[in-house]
Amino acid sequence: MKELKILAVLIVIVGVTYWGIEPLAHSIMHKHIEEAIHKYHLPDYEFSDLGSTPPLDGDPAKGKEAFQMFCASCHGLKADGIPAPMDPKTAAMSFGVVPPDLSNITSYTDKKFLFHFIKDPAKASEFKKIAMPAMGLQDEQIADIIAYLDSKAKKVHGEELFKEACGRCHGAKYQKIYAETPPDALKKYLGKVPPDLSIIMKAKGEHYLVAFINKPQALLPGTSMPRVGLNKEATEDLMKYLDEISDPHKEQRQKVGIIVLAYMLVMIGLTYAWKKKIWKNIH
Amino acid sequence: MAEEKVSRRDFLLYAMGGWAAVGLGGVLYAMYKTWEPLPEVKAAGIVRFDLSKVQPGQLKVVQWRGKPVFVLRRTPDMDKCDNRSIANEYTVVVGICTHLGCIPNWEPDKKIFKCPCHGGEFNACGVNIFGPPPRPLEIPPFKLEGTTIVLGETGPEYEKMMKG
Amino acid sequence: MEKKGGLMGWLDKRLAVDALWKVMMSEYYLPKNINFLWSFGVLTMLVFVILVISGIFVLMYYKPDSHMAFDSVNKTIMMDVAYGWVFRHVHAVGASIMFLVLFIHMGRGIYYGSYKAPREVVWVTGFILFVLMSATAFTGYLLPWGQMSYWAAQTITTLFSKIPFIGPDLVIWIRGNYIVEDATLTRFFALHVTLLPALILVFTAIHLYAVRVVGSNNEDGIPMTKEEKKEKGIPFWPVFMSKEYFVMSVFLLFFFFLVFFNYKFAMDPINFQPADYLQTPPHIYPEWYFLAFYEVLRGFFFSETLGLIGFVLSMFLPLFLPWLDTSPYPYISGKHRPLFKIMWWIFVVDFIALTILGKLPPTGLFAWLGLITSLVYFAFFIALPIISKIEKKKVASGGGQ
Repeated sequence: MKELKILAVLIVIVGVTYWGIEPLAHSIMHKHIEEAIHKYHLPDYEFSDLGSTPPLDGDPAKGKEAFQMFCASCHGLKADGIPAPMDPKTAAMSFGVVPPDLSNITSYTDKKFLFHFIKDPAKASEFKKIAMPAMGLQDEQIADIIAYLDSKAKKVHGEELFKEACGRCHGAKYQKIYAETPPDALKKYLGKVPPDLSIIMKAKGEHYLVAFINKPQALLPGTSMPRVGLNKEATEDLMKYLDEISDPHKEQRQKVGIIVLAYMLVMIGLTYAWKKKIWKNIH
Repeated sequence: MAEEKVSRRDFLLYAMGGWAAVGLGGVLYAMYKTWEPLPEVKAAGIVRFDLSKVQPGQLKVVQWRGKPVFVLRRTPDMDKCDNRSIANEYTVVVGICTHLGCIPNWEPDKKIFKCPCHGGEFNACGVNIFGPPPRPLEIPPFKLEGTTIVLGETGPEYEKMMKG
Repeated sequence: MEKKGGLMGWLDKRLAVDALWKVMMSEYYLPKNINFLWSFGVLTMLVFVILVISGIFVLMYYKPDSHMAFDSVNKTIMMDVAYGWVFRHVHAVGASIMFLVLFIHMGRGIYYGSYKAPREVVWVTGFILFVLMSATAFTGYLLPWGQMSYWAAQTITTLFSKIPFIGPDLVIWIRGNYIVEDATLTRFFALHVTLLPALILVFTAIHLYAVRVVGSNNEDGIPMTKEEKKEKGIPFWPVFMSKEYFVMSVFLLFFFFLVFFNYKFAMDPINFQPADYLQTPPHIYPEWYFLAFYEVLRGFFFSETLGLIGFVLSMFLPLFLPWLDTSPYPYISGKHRPLFKIMWWIFVVDFIALTILGKLPPTGLFAWLGLITSLVYFAFFIALPIISKIEKKKVASGGGQ
């Protein structure tokens, strides 16, 4: 009985300390992040700060013409047989970053965001130095282009999605994925080489990443990460992928963990029985 | 009574010891596994090579698991190899003399492999024909995928060859 | 008793294993009035063995080079080596839990007066073991070469630069560079895997030997005479160990739960970002077991010098406990010392408060709380001589139990 009391005191002491250095400390340290998330209702897949969007019911055929006139000098669209106008290295040298191939862009980018992005890239991305200029297009032209892109786009998942959505600036070297834009070009363009994302999930956690990707400036003011307007589905797909690559042994760990704990429970039973036996005649 | 106490204690002690041994076994298994070659080493242990790149009569050397593998496309004037022939006209052997481990040289005019160390000779099939080597040159485990040979994996052709 | 034949008999003639077994195990008697807290000494040894074994296995793939260290840990060991992650988790959690066990072991020693005469050597060697363990943990924490590793080493080594006259040169000498860099990593690695564990082994041996000479303390602090031992005591083997095995099993259940399901407290998320000497993370803090001392350092927020002096004192004052507290029998165990008991509880609560405050940002209210808790920390050590004086008077006037 006395020993149980001591144990209870011990558990309280250890429990309070743990509570203080983990949940409490982290809630205080990450207060500004929670506040930002709360303030902007992150993740906001409506991108409501960008204002209203006209109906996006453009004509793909007209969109193709507009695409060739306004977009094709920098962007390729492999899905429709339009190659990138420059090789990645030259493109990175002239723009700072390799312009994306737009084949599947509408499958992972929110279309409303895309509309505002084409209208004013710097404003939508909240990144002043963004390489793409505002093209001065009419709303209808933009809607046509989006309709055209949408007619060609197919869903991409996991590694492919990662490469298309993040891979121009970020690598995941543990997966042998390297940023499409050479690091020195990125350093010039962004001020620093963007972090490798191999184990970013372990460092930042899903809660933070989802909000950060959705609105980088809200969580890390002054960051060189532009808002890229990933839609909900793509964000979730990407989180699943990042989690898998950062923690490939999760399933094994849980399985082995259960076995080890069950093993220890049996051991507790055995050692307790032996202790009882030996201590029977003591006291 | 004292006797009984001891024996019961012993039983529990043995049960505890036995159970601890089970746990130790698990730990040893994990330790054993950590010494296995890493995935990238294992991946590098499988080499693909396109056989059609070799001209008739030509010998190419492929590196496989740190060893040279000779790929020889035989011509009709060379020995017929029966059970040592791959895709009818190729000899694929580990280029390490079965005597003491030197690397033999291909002598195109004589159409033999000759070991520089102790003069052992192997014919175009890699079979020992002269000198101290006790066995023919070894055939590495392989699998055929069209004209590509995959070294390090075993396919039906290899298994058949090993049986025959 | 038993007949001496076979291997054991042969060994006994040459190494006196029988006598050794008796002295160390079967005829080493402990008092009966001890509780399970007395099992924590053996637990520290268990954790040390776990650390050595898991350490050997992570060592086989670790690369002590500033360009390779991070990837060798996070890629090779955590992802590529079969079960490599188990050994790394066990090693990281083990290091953290070692200090939990040590703190409980030391806290029990203080409460029941186990440091008092004639056990001064036990206390001093134990304290040296604590310092060695801290050094091992600190050097080991740099090795994964993550952001937290790096900045912990950077800030703690900077402390040495505050030493008058030699400081600035000393810190460069310790690092082998102007900042923490490859040279620092490699020398920390060398100390972590060779000298420090070897010293821990040596002092463990002395510690165990010393405790067998003077005997174990007990809840009431009543010394046992040699004759009493056999009658009133329990032999270390098998009686004490039978309980110890049970405590070990329960402890290991808790330990492996942490290893597999709740390891984040020992493997900080920030440390999964590679070291970057041009960018300090927004929040840096030491591992939890150094937080209390770290908070004393920050506690005197108005004076760097006071903070440093406080920091050094807070770590080394416990060494002098046997000479600060000189109450004679029967004032040994806190159980029978009302004044001491109060101070002990204040000290424990204060230590927890310091630990928690050590992780919080040192601003506003937290800064003031830091100062108060730092002062209370020292109050314990100041109170001890006073309590001793009062208790001595009581003994002189025939008081006490």
